[in-house]
Amino acid sequence: MTDFLQLTVAGLSQGSVYALLAVGLIATYTVRHVVNIAQGDYATLAGLGSISLVTAGVPLPVAILIALVSVTLASVLIERLVISRVKNLTTLVSIILTLGVSTLLQAIMLLVWGAEAKRLPAFPGSDLNLGGVSIRSQELWMLGALVVVGGGVLLFYEKTRWGKALRASAEQPVAARIVGISPAAASIIAFAIAGFVGAAAGVVSSPIYLSIWSGGLLLGLKGFVAAVLGGLVSFRAAIVGALLLGIIESYVAGYVASGWKDAVAFFILIIVLIIRPAGLVLRPNAVRV
Amino acid sequence: MHRAQRRLLIPAATAAAIALAFTGCSTSNFGGDSGGDGASEEGPIKIGAVLDITGVGANLGVPEQNTLNMLAEQLNEAGGIDGREVELIIKDNQSTEDGAAKATTQLIENDDVDLIIGSSRTGPSLAMRPLVEAAQVPTISVAANAAIVEGSDWVFKTAQNDLVVLERILDDAEAKGYTKVALVRDATGFGEGIADIITELGSERGITLTATESFEPSATDFTAQMTNIRAADADAVIIWGITPSAGLAQAAYVQLGVDKPVYQSHGVANDAFFEAAGPAADGVIAPMGRLLVADQLSDDDPQKAVIDQFIADYTESFDSAPSSFAGHAYDAWLVGTKAIEEAGTDPEALRDAIEATSDVVGISGIFTMTPENHSGLTADALIMALAEGGRWTLYEE
Repeated sequence: MTDFLQLTVAGLSQGSVYALLAVGLIATYTVRHVVNIAQGDYATLAGLGSISLVTAGVPLPVAILIALVSVTLASVLIERLVISRVKNLTTLVSIILTLGVSTLLQAIMLLVWGAEAKRLPAFPGSDLNLGGVSIRSQELWMLGALVVVGGGVLLFYEKTRWGKALRASAEQPVAARIVGISPAAASIIAFAIAGFVGAAAGVVSSPIYLSIWSGGLLLGLKGFVAAVLGGLVSFRAAIVGALLLGIIESYVAGYVASGWKDAVAFFILIIVLIIRPAGLVLRPNAVRV
Repeated sequence: MHRAQRRLLIPAATAAAIALAFTGCSTSNFGGDSGGDGASEEGPIKIGAVLDITGVGANLGVPEQNTLNMLAEQLNEAGGIDGREVELIIKDNQSTEDGAAKATTQLIENDDVDLIIGSSRTGPSLAMRPLVEAAQVPTISVAANAAIVEGSDWVFKTAQNDLVVLERILDDAEAKGYTKVALVRDATGFGEGIADIITELGSERGITLTATESFEPSATDFTAQMTNIRAADADAVIIWGITPSAGLAQAAYVQLGVDKPVYQSHGVANDAFFEAAGPAADGVIAPMGRLLVADQLSDDDPQKAVIDQFIADYTESFDSAPSSFAGHAYDAWLVGTKAIEEAGTDPEALRDAIEATSDVVGISGIFTMTPENHSGLTADALIMALAEGGRWTLYEE
């Protein structure tokens, strides 16, 4: 039982990273129908950036703040320089474009930070041991980041006028424009949110999982699988799906074989796309605008 | 809406699959010079190197690359070998087997190299072996597993054999009265066969292997493996891998509150281990070469002068201390260039000269190659080191 709970804790913390990336992916998908392959690279970029700042003597909280703001701006820059330049942007085109962006970002990170994995110092806090189940304080930070940042984005999109306006500009661009919602502004805000959420995932996870230039793509794809569980529109389903994905990966590694761990996500992806292409929880017509 | 969803998801999924394929083969290396003119005894001497510069072996390949670049520069400044300049061509295998095979083929076909150094890890080194044997190019690997050189005419290596490393570990375990050990090993070539060796060597020492777990070198979470190891109830645990993964495994092990002593391999003989494991590294015992405990060696140690010089040169060039892996590259360069000095670049003669290497004092040990032993090091090349306060200290001599 202790082992089972221990594996669950490991899965939940891994899942919280997937969840944040899934939230970022949905943030841009609901507004622009863009699947952003570079989403995971935001995480590594923020991780590596904050590590450099800490190494240079900047206090950890300041370093994290600078990394979050910089990656948010980088995401907006990518939107302005790449995404917004394309006239008829289909989802497929967006994938190819952002795959290019991802490759470029990785090459830059390799040149700037080198090939070796690096680690951000752990956030303050002491580790817990509950009845033999060990919980690292950093894992609590990761879950906390999911609740605050992921939950914040969810509430923003679903409860505020601004958030609803963002989604409206995707579902009914012409109507949205008529009532005064600027599609360009909506797109910028969506990418800023995606950048911020990705960066948050990167900095909270770096003390445990390390940051390496090439790590973003696989991380982003795991987030994408979680987002697909939510039909690419439901934040709630994607977050639950991401946590489940992390837990299942952990069980597979513990009870089957660790080599199968990375295969789990893509196996789930295939099954979901065959059986429920609209995602796990949405009824076919239940997409809210 | 349902149909719209489906329409959007299917291309998305297709592209995700494409993207996934890209993770396996990101940037390709299209380097390579124009065609060769046959191995000649004139013109520059060409030494090729295939290293794990990016990917999971980066902690090994990067310092190896630094070392070779530094040594090639030093050698050319001193006038090369017999007045011939030495041209060093380094290729990145991206820590993959196919990358190593591709790079090796390029070095042989396009660059027409006289000697090859590499790869950094066992898997890629094994992938190179049939190619260099077919082309008859003398090759010196800087990886560990004895399978790289076993029965080969053309392949040599400079890292200490896994067999002697395990002997040292199990000797220590026997002396401490341990009877049950558990193994957590690298799932790639470096960890291949380790469980069998432990079972075999252990039976002579009254030690049984009670559990084996494995991890990918790219893994970042080790809770699953360590949870199973905790349940195995062994007297001591052997973690067999390279950094950063073996360091992260160490951190997970301590985190889960397992208090049994840990042995690690010579795959963690660098400072990156402490970066990955953090305070969890304290108390780990690992057999390794003398480089990382150089300041604690006695002055009459035959390797001390060579090691001190290398540390000084490397630190001056790269602002960081060299790892054991840098040392393996140094040794490969040393053995290779010494043989070229003696025999020139004729492949057969060069191969024979490497095989005749005798009492060459290197960083990882003192090398004596024979037709049966292409590894050149004995158990004397290893010391036991103890991780203490973020560095390796001499544990017993």
